[in-house]
Amino acid sequence: MYGFEALTFNIHGGYLEAIVRGHRSGLLTAADYNNLCQCETLDDIKMHLSATEYGPYLQNEPSPLHTTTIVEKCTLKLVDEYKHMLCQATEPLSTFLEYITYGHMIDNVVLIVTGTLHERDVQELLEKCHPLGMFDSIATLAVAQNMHELYRLVLVDTPLAPYFSECITSEDLDDMNIEIMRNTLYKAYLEDFYKFCQKPGGATAEIMSDLLAFEADRRAVNITINSIGTELTRDDRRKLYSNFGLLYPYGHEELAACEDIDQCVCHYLFQAKEICRSPSASPSVIGSYAIPWEMLMSWHS
Amino acid sequence: MSGQGQRLNVVPTVTMLGVMKARLVGATRGHALLKKKSDALTVQFRTILKKIVSTKESMGEIMRASSFALTEAKYAAGENIKHVVLESVKSASLRVRSRQENIAGVKLPRFEHFTDPGAGDTKADLTGLARGGQQIQACRAAHIKAIEVLVELASLQTSFLTLDEAIKTTNRRVNALENVVKPRLENTISYIRGELDELEREDFFRLKKIQGYKKREIERQLQAAKQFAEEQFAEKVSLKKGISISSAHNLLVAGAEKDEDIIF
Repeated sequence: MYGFEALTFNIHGGYLEAIVRGHRSGLLTAADYNNLCQCETLDDIKMHLSATEYGPYLQNEPSPLHTTTIVEKCTLKLVDEYKHMLCQATEPLSTFLEYITYGHMIDNVVLIVTGTLHERDVQELLEKCHPLGMFDSIATLAVAQNMHELYRLVLVDTPLAPYFSECITSEDLDDMNIEIMRNTLYKAYLEDFYKFCQKPGGATAEIMSDLLAFEADRRAVNITINSIGTELTRDDRRKLYSNFGLLYPYGHEELAACEDIDQCVCHYLFQAKEICRSPSASPSVIGSYAIPWEMLMSWHS
Repeated sequence: MSGQGQRLNVVPTVTMLGVMKARLVGATRGHALLKKKSDALTVQFRTILKKIVSTKESMGEIMRASSFALTEAKYAAGENIKHVVLESVKSASLRVRSRQENIAGVKLPRFEHFTDPGAGDTKADLTGLARGGQQIQACRAAHIKAIEVLVELASLQTSFLTLDEAIKTTNRRVNALENVVKPRLENTISYIRGELDELEREDFFRLKKIQGYKKREIERQLQAAKQFAEEQFAEKVSLKKGISISSAHNLLVAGAEKDEDIIF
């Protein structure tokens, strides 16, 4: 029943859409950033931030503020808002919101596995994990010694299970493979997310495919540039590129063969700039991701 | 300091004088050498001080740059990047070792950094593969530069302290030689000379006195001999005349003496 979705939209998504619009207006503006630039001390920053939405989170902090405290509290605000929205969401929105956290979950899993390999304390590692990526059995990651155990004991119950089928080949948790494992997982996650977004169709598919395609292309170029001069072979590089996006498939062939930054950049910078210029700033679905468009442009990093 | 009147307690002999003179020569030469050493050390000290000032200024700049590079890396690769990197490290690949250097006779410690090839930091090259890789490498380079500056500053400061100690000791020795040892030796030498002169004068005096005695003795003997010779002559003359002067003389003399038999 196309065209009549607006009739039933408010039943499922009305409240959350309102919340998201509210949050969007709470984002820091250019004027706020200018003010922050003028600050001389951390107390000035706290004062400016208390006039924004971040105020309640910072006002209880004792006076000698530390930069990490400010960052923690702001992240806490993000996490609280996200959790609130997750509670209020119904299917399929709740699955969509959960997909957003899988990226952080992958990072946390990789962090704990690396830390365990080097015999660090589990509690310390847990404190360093990103709050959006926590899941219940995360502490038991520390007992795993290789991939099979890791999968069997812990990950099979988490949403990350299907992504591991790509890495489940019997490689041990070697250090080099940690980064490759992380990127392979992320690739599988992006592809899964893409497929999920195509199912509902309509606005979701349109907007999300653009965004995810851009993310996939950005990652491909980043991986290429960052792996120039390292031990990563061309085949390995090829395996880390996602199976969708503007650069798929011919662009990936070219990228895999690149040995120099200028080669990659001049061909594909043009294409990617086209995507970013398209006006897709509507907040209805993506508000909680809270990434300003300028950050997506920082792919040269 | 108990003043210039100090001298060593020695027996004032000629041998001692020679010994003291040799010691004075040694002390003078040692004083000149130590003064030269102190001057050389002071020159080194000044150059190190200048280098420390400039290195400290550049260190401030470089540390600020490396902290900012860390912030950029965090921005590009996610807040977790610090923890990710820290957890994936087994042992340090950049290490510091120390060695001794000999500057103007003083052993100064020097630190230098070197990369430990066995620590395998090639694995770290893949950090931030999908985002932030370049920033992470830039941050790494900035911190390596910061470490270089810090190591150099550490060397300079330890050399500074050691040189300071050495200069103090050398100056102490120079002053001691100049103000205590040499005056003492000079006083001892002059004392010995004085004593020797006095002994010589005594000897001279004694000699002269004895000479005087001997001369008088000889004169007296000469006088006595002359008188005796005169008396002998007179006796001879009187004997010729029939009287003994000596006996007449004796009678007169005897008459002047109290005789019991004579009652006037």
